[in-house]
Amino acid sequence: MDLRAGDSWGMLACLCAVLWHLPAVPALNRTGDPGPGPSIQKTYDLTRYLEHQLRSLAGTYLNYLGPPFNEPDFNPPRLGAETLPRATVNLDVWRSLNDKLRLTQNYEAYSHLLCYLRGLNRQAATAELRRSLAHFCTSLQGLLGSIAGVMAALGYPLPQPLPGTEPTWAPGPAHSDFLQKMDDFWLLKELQTWLWRSAKDFNRLKKKMQPPAAAVTLHLEAHGF
Amino acid sequence: MSISHEFTCFSLHQSLFLLPAFSAKFLSEPLPWAPESLKVSINSTHQCLHLQWSVHNLAYHQELKMVFQIEISRIKTSNVIWVENYSTTVKGNQLLHWSWESQLPLECAKHFIRMRSAVDDATTPEQRFWSNWSSWEEVDVQNSLGHEPLFVFPKDKLVEEGSNVTICYVSRSQQNNISCYLEGVRMQGQQLDPNVSMFNLHNVAFIRETGTNIYCKVDRGDDIKGIVLFVSKILEEPKDFSCETRDFQTLSCTWDPGRDTGLLKQLPQSYTLFESFSGKKTLCKHKGWCNWQVAPESQEMYNFTLTAENYLRKRSVHILFNLTHRVHPMAPFNVLFKDVSVTNATMTWKVHSTGNYYTLLCQVELYGEGKVIQKHNVSVKVNGELVLSGLEPDTEYSAQVRCANANHFWKWSEWTRQNFTTVEAAPSEAPDVWRNVKSVQGYCVVTLFWKPLSRLQANGEILFYNIVVEDLDRPSGLQLLSVPAPANRTELTLDQRAYQIHVTANNSVGTSPASVLVVSGDPGDEEVEEERVKGTEDGFSLSWKPQPGNITGYIVEWCDRPRDPLCDLQWKHLGPNTTSTVISSDAFRPGVRYNFRIYGISTEMVPYLLEKKTGYSQELAPSDNPRVVMSNLTSHSFTLSWKDYSTESQPSFIRGYHVYLKSKAGQCHPGSEKAVLSDDSVCCKYKIDDPKQKMFVVGNLQPESFYEFLVTPYSAVGEGPHGAFTKVTTPDEYSPMLIRIILPMIFCILLIMILCYLKSQWMKEKCYPDIPDPYKSSVLSLIKSKENPRLTIMNIKDCVPDTIEVVNKHEGTGKSPTEPEAAKPTYLYLLPAEESYSGPGPCICFENFTYNQAASDSASCGHVPVPTKAPSQLGLLTSSENLLTALEKNCMNSLEEIPAGESSLNYVSQVASPVSGDKSSLPTNPPQPELCSEYKMQMAIPLGLAAPSSSGSSSLSSITLLDEGEHYH
Repeated sequence: MDLRAGDSWGMLACLCAVLWHLPAVPALNRTGDPGPGPSIQKTYDLTRYLEHQLRSLAGTYLNYLGPPFNEPDFNPPRLGAETLPRATVNLDVWRSLNDKLRLTQNYEAYSHLLCYLRGLNRQAATAELRRSLAHFCTSLQGLLGSIAGVMAALGYPLPQPLPGTEPTWAPGPAHSDFLQKMDDFWLLKELQTWLWRSAKDFNRLKKKMQPPAAAVTLHLEAHGF
Repeated sequence: MSISHEFTCFSLHQSLFLLPAFSAKFLSEPLPWAPESLKVSINSTHQCLHLQWSVHNLAYHQELKMVFQIEISRIKTSNVIWVENYSTTVKGNQLLHWSWESQLPLECAKHFIRMRSAVDDATTPEQRFWSNWSSWEEVDVQNSLGHEPLFVFPKDKLVEEGSNVTICYVSRSQQNNISCYLEGVRMQGQQLDPNVSMFNLHNVAFIRETGTNIYCKVDRGDDIKGIVLFVSKILEEPKDFSCETRDFQTLSCTWDPGRDTGLLKQLPQSYTLFESFSGKKTLCKHKGWCNWQVAPESQEMYNFTLTAENYLRKRSVHILFNLTHRVHPMAPFNVLFKDVSVTNATMTWKVHSTGNYYTLLCQVELYGEGKVIQKHNVSVKVNGELVLSGLEPDTEYSAQVRCANANHFWKWSEWTRQNFTTVEAAPSEAPDVWRNVKSVQGYCVVTLFWKPLSRLQANGEILFYNIVVEDLDRPSGLQLLSVPAPANRTELTLDQRAYQIHVTANNSVGTSPASVLVVSGDPGDEEVEEERVKGTEDGFSLSWKPQPGNITGYIVEWCDRPRDPLCDLQWKHLGPNTTSTVISSDAFRPGVRYNFRIYGISTEMVPYLLEKKTGYSQELAPSDNPRVVMSNLTSHSFTLSWKDYSTESQPSFIRGYHVYLKSKAGQCHPGSEKAVLSDDSVCCKYKIDDPKQKMFVVGNLQPESFYEFLVTPYSAVGEGPHGAFTKVTTPDEYSPMLIRIILPMIFCILLIMILCYLKSQWMKEKCYPDIPDPYKSSVLSLIKSKENPRLTIMNIKDCVPDTIEVVNKHEGTGKSPTEPEAAKPTYLYLLPAEESYSGPGPCICFENFTYNQAASDSASCGHVPVPTKAPSQLGLLTSSENLLTALEKNCMNSLEEIPAGESSLNYVSQVASPVSGDKSSLPTNPPQPELCSEYKMQMAIPLGLAAPSSSGSSSLSSITLLDEGEHYH
């Protein structure tokens, strides 16, 4: 797992600028119709920015957990993290995903991950770590909104959360502290994998949206789905 | 495994008393009150075993003091690890409980427990013997662990720093090698059984709030199991616990909480405040302080217990106090000053009400210029008042006040500070005045200087200075001048009479006493000799001769910056009995010459100069060398001068000069000495002891030699820098004489050349005419005089041509023109045959080649015999011009270039003897040479053809073009 510590505050201005311009994203502004291309590009940019931000956050958090979680080659079995949405997928399956499914999976995954991340924030013992986590949660919320904007621009409905299936990250009484740390580790790792995957997802979408002919194809495909 | 590591969880009684008497009876006596219904339960979280039992046959109402001996074995029954006697009072059919905490996690090994009892009651001494042991109760937690391949225990234990902890793992498979790590470092364990290993951690330390990670993993697999050991810092006792009140309504208690023991699994320690008299308790919201509401019923005594508590430990501190002894008054307020005068002010303030029963002691501090100048203590009920006296006029003061309980001092309140300024008064002292007098065009220009009055002297802000100039000769003549502050000087132009000047300083209240000075027209400075003084770091120590007569005092005058035009004039007043002083100033710098003038002030207030002193606070080595001008350079000496070098502006008293002279010879003449410079070069040093001598003649030099010189001043502290030497080379001894001769010669030659150029035509005619004039030839005169005085020059007009020699050359034959056949000339006889005979009469033969350039280049041109068959060409030669042209044409070519068959004509004078080209045809008796004069041409001769003349004649060259035999002499 390649998680590096670093300073994320310098990129705060960049995030704010992205969020500030979100209302102006054409995908969210249906009156003008430049297509979803610009909003996909912005979502892609936001994904890359979050990837950078997570590297710094994960470094700090894993040091906070202590060894072996902060060791570079630590790769434990994914025991207690079964409820986390998996980012890894077979390449053929990933290629065969249509746009709607691709975006829906992203949206659902980040909805869950954001919820888990907020739980992580509540447990954090130091104020500095809580600040960093809260900042990242805000950024992730922005990504979620951006994905929602792209879906809306393409005419896809947002997935509705099933009642009573609100993901929780509160450890049960039998959940040991070591397992809890493993879960935290896996949450950060899965989040990073999802950001990598999202960058590829949005890059693929972006390429599809670029030529005008592709837009027609997408339109037909959307109707077909 | 050490038994002492194990301990009971609750109601721990470790008094291990085994009565020998009991042991003796144990096996033989029946069991009246044996323990029964022993049940063992476990608490994995706390690693505790809970025992519950009852006592057999004990009546409902009966109450007995009993002892239960409990034995605990591990792994097998014979391995007893704990024996304890538990004493308690048993009532009827009461269920008894006992707990024991295991150091080793209970999951790691089987445990076996049994117990027996004895009566330990004075009322039944006959029953003092042990009952039978109960049967062993086995505790095996491993069976309930499940089917996972690996377990690590204890799960997430919380201990204090310094504790010893035992970790173990339980593996389901014996095949696997299992490694366990503490914070990434592998641990060495101890195997309990094939599936279980334990690790003892001694004196564990706090690492982080998220706990210490311990995990085990199968070497060949990805299974990993771990625990987090939370190590808490030891809870400290609160320090510096105290309570006080500021308003008799709230008690504020504070303490130093010490270190935080918070962990991810444990909240930080909490603090509870308990007051025993009132029985009230409050949980403090903050770590270091807590407020307590004072009871309205005027409770005076308070007994507080502060308890710090966390999951593992509890610590308490107590204080008992009387409320009135813990009063920390609030800061006074409304501090005012009234009736502020020149030297007094009344300060008033108020204190917060603390009831009528308490008197406050207030402390007042008066600050002037940042320092405490007065301190007062005042008892105050509600309002405080204090008169501050002994103040200075027009001075800003700061006063501050604080209060404390007068009866039982606990703490001072905070200070409350306020500033005030006393009012002004008239200046108390006359300004210190001095003057500088200059005579300009018959007038005295008097510059008056005065020092600003000190704050204490000014008694307020000085607004202006009044200057009254009184003419002593005319008492009625007063001149008034007002100079606004902060000026410290003014200039007056007075005539040469004596004037008395009064200077006063004025503020808004009044005028200072006057400072009086008399200025006379004659400064009288010139007659005084200047004396040198030696300064030190502390200043200049000056002394002077006491003056007879009435002296009111002395003034020492100097400039702080003597190099500046304004010079910053300073002066110092001294009493009439003083004859020495030390002048010091922060402005004094090393290497600067300071001049001091000492004046005496007469009773008429007239200053007159007594002495002049000059010196340096510290002499420095000269920093500059003089600019030296070299003159009078001869082959043996030169002169150096540095007239413009000022010794006055040097950083020390110049005592003389050193002249360094470097030469290749390296020999020093008398009057100089050898010196080695810093660069190890050797030179001669001349010493000049008189600083006024600014010229030096360097003598005894060698001609045409290279020298280098340097002139540097020296003083008591050293000499000037050894900078760049000036180079000089002495001239040759004879060169001046040579110049005196050569120059005129060159001039003369030039003059002659110019004349020659201007008269070139004349010169040509005279010296080398194009056509030589035989009359002018000196040869002729020479011949005439020496050999034949009868010789004369023939006039060409007198000659009649008689023969034309026609020369026809055949170059193409390849034969030499000298061969008889080819070079046979043809003669055309223009005169009768008989006349062609060249008899022995007087005859002059000309062979003039002047008009034939080519003829001189080649013998063929002049003497090639004319072919006999060429008479047909005669007709062409009708005149001499044509002949000349033909000759010229032919002879312009070289011998080789003449085409075959082309003929050449050679002109032969009519008076010439008929000479045949054929050598053989030459007459055996040629004409007498003395009768014929051969005239040769004068022209440039190609070197290849002409031999230098052997005669060396300056006027003519005899050129031999043919063999000797062909010439007639």
